[in-house]
Amino acid sequence: MIANLLIGLREGLEAALVVGILVAYLVKLQRRDVLPRLWLGVGLAVALSLGLGAVLTFGTLGLSFESQELIGGTLSIVATALVTWMIFWMLRTARTLGTSLRHDVDTHLAGGGWGLVIVAFLAVGREGIETALFLWAAVQATGQTTLPLLGAGIGILLAVALGWLIYRGVVRIDLGRFFAWTGFFLIVIAAGVLAYGVHDLQESGLLPGLHVLAFDVSGAVPPDSWYAALLKGTINFSPATTWLQAAAWVLYTIPVLALFIRALRAPGRAKDSAQTDSSTEVINQGAS
Amino acid sequence: MIRRTLVIAAAATLGIVGLTGCVSGTGQDAAGTTVHVVSTATECTLSANTAPRGTVVFSVTNSGDSVTEFYVLADDGNRTVGEVENIGPGITRDVRVEVQAGEFFTLCKPGMVGDGVGKARFTVTDTR
Repeated sequence: MIANLLIGLREGLEAALVVGILVAYLVKLQRRDVLPRLWLGVGLAVALSLGLGAVLTFGTLGLSFESQELIGGTLSIVATALVTWMIFWMLRTARTLGTSLRHDVDTHLAGGGWGLVIVAFLAVGREGIETALFLWAAVQATGQTTLPLLGAGIGILLAVALGWLIYRGVVRIDLGRFFAWTGFFLIVIAAGVLAYGVHDLQESGLLPGLHVLAFDVSGAVPPDSWYAALLKGTINFSPATTWLQAAAWVLYTIPVLALFIRALRAPGRAKDSAQTDSSTEVINQGAS
Repeated sequence: MIRRTLVIAAAATLGIVGLTGCVSGTGQDAAGTTVHVVSTATECTLSANTAPRGTVVFSVTNSGDSVTEFYVLADDGNRTVGEVENIGPGITRDVRVEVQAGEFFTLCKPGMVGDGVGKARFTVTDTR
């Protein structure tokens, strides 16, 4: 049961963390009215995954191995792009907030609010089919034993609980630090998702080098251990990482982190009102 | 502009899912041949070591105590032709591969680590 629990935890954790941060973000901006839309995105992703998973499990249709990897890989890379966009968008919105120009935040959310919904949808749906196939397989096993389903269910609930704890934790941070902390956190998550997507595409045969490993620490971090599940579930750390995965991770993380730190330090945090006003003008034009 | 970008991204994503999802599985031999596999801590037992070309579904049951994976490798023993992960103890999961006649390898990877166990030849014949 523990083994199945760890699969559920690993598959659900990252999505729960991202959604937890999104919720905290909207609460911080006092835009709880966008929350129903966010939950709609999450609900749609869950329903779509479970539905597709059920069709594939119980119907006559099947999904070939390559297709599943291709879907997982492509969605992961799209998710990375969207989360990266969101990190910088959140930061710019934060700056607008500093000028206490209420309607600017509202303008941003008019377009960007749906962006957040799509991010929530992708965060959950990215590996949703894989998780759904695993869950339905556990359901199918209930004829012999209910332990796998129980384990998988508890694992996913545990992931949701951890997402909630993250929400509780970050929502208390003061606004200035909030965007820095969640931004760094999301960049690390997004980098992991990108590396994961690259690995999926390597498995599908679209990208080469599946067996050319940069490092293999499976001895120190057994993939079926609870800490490997936590590492995989949060930052997508895989004990056996290919060179292409490692390269994608580094090539993403370094420039994005550099840009993020530059954006964090950039002037315009309501110190100089004239400058801030002009910068928000630019942002508004960019957003509309 | 942001909204347009997002709509394009979303449309592209759905398009990819739709395309890849529909190409496979449909077609005349969607049922294909099913080979049952049992994975334990030390063994990887197949109900057959040969199948006709076309769709082969490996239905893998984990009878061990740790999470297992199942691989179908090309005859160089390296390239992955098919793979299914996250097979928890007590669970049965399928992997569907489209194969031409030739030699392949199958193996299980209990604990998701190392070179796996029960690596064996699997022959796909030219008959249907």
